[in-house]
Amino acid sequence: MTDFTWLIGGEAGFGIMTTGVVFSKITTRSGYHIFDYVEYPSLIRGGHNAYEVHVSGDDVSHLSPTIDVLVCLNKETYEKHKSRLTPSSLVVFDKEEFEIKEDIKKIIIPFKKILTDLKGQSVMKNTISLGASIGLLGGDIGELIKIISEQFAKKGDEVINFNKLFVQAGFDAVKKNYSELILNYLTKKPGEEKLVLTGNDAFALGSVIADSRVYVAYPMTPSSTVLTDLAAWQEKIGMVVRHAEDEISVINTAIGSSYAGVRSAVGSSGGGFALMVESLSFAGITEIPIVVFIVQRPGPATGMPTWTEQGDLLFSVFSGHGEFPKIVLAPGDNEEMVELTAKAYNLADIYQLPVIVMSDMYLSESHKSVTKKFIDEFVKTYKVNRGKLIDQMTNNKSPSFVKTSEGKQNYLRYKITEDGISPRLIPGTPEYFYQANSYEHVEDGHTTEEAQPRIDQVDKRARKWVTYLKNDFSMPKVYGEIDKSEIIFVSWGSTKGIVIEAQKQLKAKGINSAFIHFNHIYPMDIDKMKTFFKQNKKYVLVENNSWGQFGKLLTMKTGIEIKNKILRYDGRPITATEIVHKVIKL
Amino acid sequence: MANIQDFSSYNPTWCPGCGDWGIGVAIKQALIQLGLSPSSVVAVFGIGCSGNMNDFLNAYAIHSLHGRALPNAIGIKIANHKMPVIAIVGDGDCYGEGGNHLVHACRGNHDITVIVHDNGVYGLTTGQSAPTAQKGFKSKSTPTGILETPINPLALTITSGATFVAQSFAGDALHSIAMIKAGIEHKGFSVINILQPCVTFNKVNTYQYYLQRVYKLDSNYKKDDFKIAVQKSLEINEEKFPLGIIYQVEKPSYTDQLSQLKESTLVDKNRFTDFDKIEKLFI
Repeated sequence: MTDFTWLIGGEAGFGIMTTGVVFSKITTRSGYHIFDYVEYPSLIRGGHNAYEVHVSGDDVSHLSPTIDVLVCLNKETYEKHKSRLTPSSLVVFDKEEFEIKEDIKKIIIPFKKILTDLKGQSVMKNTISLGASIGLLGGDIGELIKIISEQFAKKGDEVINFNKLFVQAGFDAVKKNYSELILNYLTKKPGEEKLVLTGNDAFALGSVIADSRVYVAYPMTPSSTVLTDLAAWQEKIGMVVRHAEDEISVINTAIGSSYAGVRSAVGSSGGGFALMVESLSFAGITEIPIVVFIVQRPGPATGMPTWTEQGDLLFSVFSGHGEFPKIVLAPGDNEEMVELTAKAYNLADIYQLPVIVMSDMYLSESHKSVTKKFIDEFVKTYKVNRGKLIDQMTNNKSPSFVKTSEGKQNYLRYKITEDGISPRLIPGTPEYFYQANSYEHVEDGHTTEEAQPRIDQVDKRARKWVTYLKNDFSMPKVYGEIDKSEIIFVSWGSTKGIVIEAQKQLKAKGINSAFIHFNHIYPMDIDKMKTFFKQNKKYVLVENNSWGQFGKLLTMKTGIEIKNKILRYDGRPITATEIVHKVIKL
Repeated sequence: MANIQDFSSYNPTWCPGCGDWGIGVAIKQALIQLGLSPSSVVAVFGIGCSGNMNDFLNAYAIHSLHGRALPNAIGIKIANHKMPVIAIVGDGDCYGEGGNHLVHACRGNHDITVIVHDNGVYGLTTGQSAPTAQKGFKSKSTPTGILETPINPLALTITSGATFVAQSFAGDALHSIAMIKAGIEHKGFSVINILQPCVTFNKVNTYQYYLQRVYKLDSNYKKDDFKIAVQKSLEINEEKFPLGIIYQVEKPSYTDQLSQLKESTLVDKNRFTDFDKIEKLFI
């Protein structure tokens, strides 16, 4: 079965990213699944970019330790990645640009000569290398030409035809000189139609499915492509996207639009979220629904902007001054991102509180193929649930409407209810009015400093959590069987695919393992949670941070302490291989 | 048609003689005269003595955080651009804590009306100096006199892109009503800076002080001339306070420029369901 890794590397600013996406799409269109990952520095020109695609006949969501085809647009690519080559790996490069002394399988493509002969710009090395790669992998050049034609459709036939020349030149160079080395990894096979999505694309798509109508953001790596996706689609889908002056304005714009009745979300990374936190507490007390997307990167402060970490878990869970309920979710892959994003909008409306969806650079910027069927099925089953929104037709029957002593209509926005949720009215509804108050308030929204109404409102808000745990909280999913395993992994969010791959590798070595994966992070049902940890097994915490933050949260909530920890905090994602190595030594 | 009782909620807790009383009445009168009711207008309040009007005025409202009323108002307008949205804020609130929001709200020409209570002090926190306090003003936070020069709210907003900038005086309720009405009727970002004595904490900028220094713009003042307006606004640096519409021009508002809002408001539009259109971008 096809399972290989292709990596292209070169100088930043020379189109490596676009080339990688094109490669991913060719493989999915040829019937395969992909998971890709990109490494790039926080600058526009001059650094090193690397884009790797793990291609598989099956669903895939992890990287491979080895590289099967390495395309080097410069010497640095070779030097940086040669440690991951195997004796059968193929290395594509131009010997006019640099020499490789090691005894490896060399595929020499005359990039320089082709560019000179065809009068191309140096960025077109990418196009040549795509042609060469498809040739080398036994792929269909027709599929590649089709994508190139789509990509340059707006620029006209002349540009398309010009690009075709470079694709063909790369393809022919392989066919002519290396026919004996050609692999048939990309032979076209029937397969489901697939979408090549990043986690950010999946959040944007989930938002559209959930009927979100306002997205506000300030650009911050690695969350910015949600802003650019939705900004590009806004006219088509009837959404308003505002790039505000700062993250404080970002969240307050969304609080305003949500108050006025439309589903609204914001997105940022940890630093931008830090600026939003005062207003998160504001959404908490005013009970205005809001979805907050946090794409983590290594901090503190500016940290390592283009790398990955799960370092903002505790910050997110405990964000905001004062005591108010919020819900924190952390999808494990793109499918979960689509589902949980759409669910987040429902939860925000049902419970009238902030819902945080957590991602990280690894999940948000890697592409993973998702079948179109999955999305279409999800669209069919998903129902927009606006919660207790007072219908205009039946509004005067609602117990939230009372008559004052002077006989006037009064609407109790913060009516005390058993489930903690007070029916909500869209501003503009005739005859009524109310204020969403950042001060503590009585039932009708007016400010209070009295003891009992304060206690009543604090308790009412807290009951929303109780209702949530009863109705909408999902237990962690267990991969493998706890009873039959000696190793039990505990992890959350984006590490899902990596740990599942580690389980497979351990199984091959005769070690049975189970994996408890959390994506409904906070609040958690403490009693139910404890049932997972009763057995006398080796529990191993896996997190992409240095503190083991989920482990700390678990200890705080349940008293359970996981002693074995596999933590990585160098900005790189944990790999299945390192998990296996460390587990064997336990 | 709504009357003053319809708009009146709790009795105000402002100090006797506070300029907020005049502004509070002027806002209610302006809303009534425009034919609005508590159900047909949205007010966003900042934090401060001015923001406490939230409990005294009946309307769909948000009592926001300190400094954040403007982005809330912008969000409301984006969701429902058919409803009039006013922001009732203080000088510390809007020119200090929320200063960045003000500049960018001007740039966006968001169709909201900002009514600023300008009394030179932070009244609710017992009298520290505000960004509009004159240089040298002594207060608890600036016991030897404030070192910074004051913000010029008129020049700042005119040069940042506001399309309606007016100034009024809390001691002249009829003038304040006229300015608030004109601001709400203006399509685009409107600011009304209302000079307001704080009788408790500001012993310099008193009613007497203002009565000696305010004057009304005469009827042939050209309010649509940017350079004249900037020139006029600079008079406050010399402690001369023109009252009236300093600057007004017609330009498309933020929501006017959004094609997705042409057919209906965002809150009223039908759900988008043609997901294939988005999915195909990724195949």
